[in-house]
Amino acid sequence: MRFPFRELPAAGGGELTPRPVVDIALEGLLAAPMGCLLDSGALRTRMSAELAPLAGIELDGAPTEEFFVAGLKTGGTLARVNLTVTDGAEEFSWDAPVWFCDPWPHPFGLAGLEGFLHHFIVTIRAYDGYLDIEPQP
Amino acid sequence: MTVSGHRYELDSRGVQSALEGVLPEPIHEHFVVINGRRWPPKQVLALVTGLDRADFTTHQARRALTRLGFPAARAARSRSHHMRAAQAAGPAASPVGGTGGTPRTLVEALRPFIGLWVAVRGDEVLVAASSPKEVVAWLAQHGQRAQSMFRVPDSDQAITGAAPQ
Repeated sequence: MRFPFRELPAAGGGELTPRPVVDIALEGLLAAPMGCLLDSGALRTRMSAELAPLAGIELDGAPTEEFFVAGLKTGGTLARVNLTVTDGAEEFSWDAPVWFCDPWPHPFGLAGLEGFLHHFIVTIRAYDGYLDIEPQP
Repeated sequence: MTVSGHRYELDSRGVQSALEGVLPEPIHEHFVVINGRRWPPKQVLALVTGLDRADFTTHQARRALTRLGFPAARAARSRSHHMRAAQAAGPAASPVGGTGGTPRTLVEALRPFIGLWVAVRGDEVLVAASSPKEVVAWLAQHGQRAQSMFRVPDSDQAITGAAPQ
């Protein structure tokens, strides 16, 4: 499955540098896949805690941890959920741990090692402006 | 102006303020651009007049709104048709967030929504709102499916990297 780097407008005019973003749908929220920044340095896959109730994911009593993301201290709650990616032609679903974080002021979720990269062979073609993901056999 | 036999005193500023806090419904064919967003003409005219949508046609609504200076166009079935429709529509008054009403790329379509949560499909912004909850509610209400949901970053620094420290 191929994902062109996400092109975004800059507030001052022009465009931001395109970023590697994969759209990951939570079970229960298939109509709104969350744009997730591919982050090879992140151990976890993280999304805003605002998404959990929208997808019907219960976080009460789940394990939590505090950590820093981009210099901001935040708290994460773990849930094992079914995730789906699609490029419109192919679709792949897998079960994975996702940390739902509050506060989460970041524009995207984070697709990290656990939860995302462990499940795919990922080829990043930054020069050409896209990335390919292939589910691990 | 007269709509469906009723007389209304409408101006562009009044229409713009009436739409604050309201989310545009899905565009089926025709749209007008107000406050940097695409709106179904009938939704707008119904909102500002209080009339039932069955009381007037899309073309009447579109004509009334272009008279107030709002650009109008037809949703792109083909790009060339889309552009022609935009060029032919109404007076070129009322700047609308720099989009000109017919963004040619997703980047331009996203520009009016910097800082907001959006749901996109292809090069089209389906909805923009201040929270993911509103975006998801809109998608559910209108039976729409997005390709991606995210917040349009308000700076390069907002996505410079997010590795835990």
